[in-house]
Amino acid sequence: MKEYLALQYTITNRRFKDAGIEPILAYIILTIGFFGLSIYLFMKTEFAQYIYIFSAFTLVAKLSETQRTEFLKICFGNLQLKKIRIIENLICILPFLAFMVFKLLFLSVAVLLILSVILALVNFQTTYNYTIWTPFSKHPFEFTIGFRNTFYLFFVAYILTLIAISVNNFNLGLFAMLLVFATTLSFYSKPENEYYVWTYRLNANHFLFEKTKTAMLLTSYLVLPIVVILSIYFTQTIGLLLIFFLVGSGFLILIIVTKYSTYPKEINIPEGLLLALCIWFPPVLIFLIPFLFLKAKKSLNYLLK
Amino acid sequence: MIAIRNLTKKYGTFEVLKNINIELENGKVYGIVGENGAGKTTFFRCIAGLEHFEGEISANQNDIKNHLGLLLTEPFFFQKITGKEYIQLLCNARHIKIADIESKNIFDLPLNQYASTYSTGMKKKLALTAILLQGNDYFILDEPFNGVDIQSNIIVAEIIHTLKNLKKTVIISSHIFSTLSDTCDEIHLLSKGSFIKSVKKADFQILEEEMKQLTIGNKIEKLGLK
Repeated sequence: MKEYLALQYTITNRRFKDAGIEPILAYIILTIGFFGLSIYLFMKTEFAQYIYIFSAFTLVAKLSETQRTEFLKICFGNLQLKKIRIIENLICILPFLAFMVFKLLFLSVAVLLILSVILALVNFQTTYNYTIWTPFSKHPFEFTIGFRNTFYLFFVAYILTLIAISVNNFNLGLFAMLLVFATTLSFYSKPENEYYVWTYRLNANHFLFEKTKTAMLLTSYLVLPIVVILSIYFTQTIGLLLIFFLVGSGFLILIIVTKYSTYPKEINIPEGLLLALCIWFPPVLIFLIPFLFLKAKKSLNYLLK
Repeated sequence: MIAIRNLTKKYGTFEVLKNINIELENGKVYGIVGENGAGKTTFFRCIAGLEHFEGEISANQNDIKNHLGLLLTEPFFFQKITGKEYIQLLCNARHIKIADIESKNIFDLPLNQYASTYSTGMKKKLALTAILLQGNDYFILDEPFNGVDIQSNIIVAEIIHTLKNLKKTVIISSHIFSTLSDTCDEIHLLSKGSFIKSVKKADFQILEEEMKQLTIGNKIEKLGLK
């Protein structure tokens, strides 16, 4: 087990080195970035601790990938697997726990700890005999797969919209809209196998436009019900709603061009910092999108001539 | 036709492909054989434009990749995408509209099930169906018979014959010699990055014998089996 964890540490360091950053520097940047964003989040919204727990839980849930768990089980056996999974989950949530202790949110700390341990002990069903329905079957693959992985979040967003109306809280409605945007943004966080880029009969320019067009169209299908309902009940805030809709769309374009700007590599710390900069000051999007678009075009040129 | 001139591919200082010259005509099926690591997959990736290389690869259709159906040895499938959606994705990518995908399901695959849950053979059949529906002019089939059941192998062989009759250019690799001798017009033996032998249909038997001699030698005797 000790060797496995040491190996994970080596792999992580290797990834930083591959991205051209010294691991020690990467850890410092990540720590500062994490605590900076946390302070910003807690300053900006009263729902910060819920977003915080949810983010940590989502991160930990990614470690519960079936194939990965099965591989660990084959290598280490059931008992060792559980120990490894608990330790991994605790390492992952450690920064979140530290900040919540700093904020004296002890109940949230306890909830997150319990959830993480439970997640490490639970075995997910490995094979499903059913296929989750998706409205995006004709437009594979990002939204088809993304919807199947996160459909419950859209229900949460729609329910929050209804609650926002019933308690007359526009900000909650806005949060619901941003939740949908954040979810669809996550569909573009990882680079796909090169075959799925290569196979397109498009040049890099058109490929990026096509990806952006599809993302905006399909996100609109999911966001528009919230926008329409909020516009009806909060008529005086339509302008604000429109601005947030445009900013959300801007982030959607940004994540697509960022993803392909580093292709075939994954989005790494430098790009993450640029994303964080945009969250902090969204007007930067105006300059960053064209810059990353050109970079993405260059990265894709070898596959899409 | 695909014309390959002075194709060389290096990884650092290591030459995987060494000055390859070959013309692949329309309406012909070419078999590429060679040991593991001989450079077959790299050769295919170069034709597909998935690798940078030295030399020149040209075709009647200027942009080969947009008219090429590439069947990889181990096709990659996303989690939570159905067989039908996989076909849809590959057809969308080439602007091909197919009204009824189900009617083209000649291998009787469970198209509404996630492709990642398919067996190795089913995955290969799905990937093959998708590239056939893309309406390509050139086909590279890397191990199309591997892991596929006997019945489907018969269908795959028939598909290759049909593609030949439709004047498509087909390149196949296989580790099972009989599958190549049944379908190919020419077989090229790739060894350490070079084509060391090329034979026409009439001489396939001789090539097989030579390969047996070269590969087996006295290796089995070394085992000292009793």
